[in-house]
Amino acid sequence: MKLRVWWALARGVLLESLRRKDLWVVAILGMIIMAASGALGFFGVEGLQTFAKDLGVTVLGLFSTVIAILTTSRLLPDEIKNRTLYPLLARPISRFDLLAGKLMGAILATWLAFVILLALTSVALLMFGVRFEVIMVQYALLKMVGLGVLCAVTLTLSAFMTPSAAATLSFVVAFGSSMIVRGLTMAYETSSPAMQWFFKFINSILPQFGLFDIGPRVANENWAPVPLWVVGGLLAYGVAYAGGMLLLAWSKFRSQAV
Amino acid sequence: MQAIVTEDLHVRYRAKNGQNVHAVQGLSFEVNPGEIVGFLGPNGAGKSSTLKCLMGFVQPSAGSCSVFGLAAGSLEAKRRIGYLPEVALYYPYLTPLETLTLYGELQGLRGSRLKRAATDLLEQVGLGQAMNKLNRSLSKGMLQRVGIAQSLLGDPEVLVLDEMTSGLDPIGRKELRELLKARQAQGTTLFFSSHELSEVEMLCDRILLIHQGKLIEERPIQALKDELRQFEITYQGAVSLVDLALEWNELGDNTYRARFSDKQNLLKALDRVQREGRAVVDVVAQEGSLEEFFVETIGRAA
Repeated sequence: MKLRVWWALARGVLLESLRRKDLWVVAILGMIIMAASGALGFFGVEGLQTFAKDLGVTVLGLFSTVIAILTTSRLLPDEIKNRTLYPLLARPISRFDLLAGKLMGAILATWLAFVILLALTSVALLMFGVRFEVIMVQYALLKMVGLGVLCAVTLTLSAFMTPSAAATLSFVVAFGSSMIVRGLTMAYETSSPAMQWFFKFINSILPQFGLFDIGPRVANENWAPVPLWVVGGLLAYGVAYAGGMLLLAWSKFRSQAV
Repeated sequence: MQAIVTEDLHVRYRAKNGQNVHAVQGLSFEVNPGEIVGFLGPNGAGKSSTLKCLMGFVQPSAGSCSVFGLAAGSLEAKRRIGYLPEVALYYPYLTPLETLTLYGELQGLRGSRLKRAATDLLEQVGLGQAMNKLNRSLSKGMLQRVGIAQSLLGDPEVLVLDEMTSGLDPIGRKELRELLKARQAQGTTLFFSSHELSEVEMLCDRILLIHQGKLIEERPIQALKDELRQFEITYQGAVSLVDLALEWNELGDNTYRARFSDKQNLLKALDRVQREGRAVVDVVAQEGSLEEFFVETIGRAA
């Protein structure tokens, strides 16, 4: 029963995203990348496969992150602003189901954009003569899990703050969390025990987006695929983190006056 | 079992400027099954807050509200209510049919039953030709019709409508009135807020008037109409009706006019004029204005 509710809500989000042409912007960007890479290949630029792969995963990471944040950050606030939240909440569904369905829709829309972009980038890379490798599938899978986590973080932030603030903070978390974690790691050794405890706490609550991004491994030649247990572990971490975020959003939204 | 009950309902908000707003203050009323009740009050009187409490969008600060004995906002209560929010902008990139399909699925409707219900309702509200156009291309009135259609999904036993005629043209209002009357004939209870007093007059069995979050009047509409109705007679010849009439004056040419607030005094006056052998020129019944009643009652309460 709940899955049907979630799917109905998710389908609405997906359909709106498709018709709003957000995803087409991604497709056009992908085509530009493909055309540019194809042009390099046409003019006989050799030995740039590594550069092309690096560029491909960077562009994929960047645009899919932008899509994930922009799609998710306005979902809940738009429902309130347009008063469409009321007919939804007037149905016999819980507020948790509403959040879960909306999150599911945002994740699916983001994944669809990512897959379109990935397909176009793959074509461009093939034109460059880049060989297909198993690690590329692992990259795509882990990236999609990471995007799901990012959607959950953004939805949660949008339950606590304005859409623009939620989007800004999501960008900071998405692009800055790795840097913050690196900084904390460096400062850890020279800090007092209390500060070390505090750093550990910050590290544990920050989403570890860096773990989901094996783009550098894909870009560099001769890297072995990631062991399956690691992929499984990351998948479990991603699901748990997104679930935790959803619960946090629900704790704010469950009794919020709307 | 009453369709809607509120008991000593209080709703407090913290406004954006940090101040506490006491939107509803000890509101108690009941709505009987099958009744149409208009919920009136000036802007900021607490109407929408009360309706939101009934739907569980807002938690009461104190007191309670229930629907058929079920706690307002519970899933069981929501299964029995249809709700129309005030001026909603339905998903711009969905069509009315897709919008109703979405809401219908959340209501628990499935497959061909859902499709038939959505299509029938859109036709009933006059969107048969527009059901496959995107909502963003619809006018405000048409979006309101989408809202009305979604509120009727699943044949709810109680309809809670917030400013239901907003954006509708006179034809749309008439059609909506007929639709709601037909629903009432099937046993549906209607509870709605409105600033359109003519709609209230035509549709309601009873009105509740609130001001500053408190109930200040509760009256069956027929009794109110009877109370507000006035009669006027014009006659020739000097017969004094000053003891019976609200107003009595000479128009000139030995012609007089008298105004009465109740029928008994009118009949006595007619009898007196005729016994004196004077000619009654005209008798007019004037329906009272609900607007005047509204303004006066609010003025007294303020």
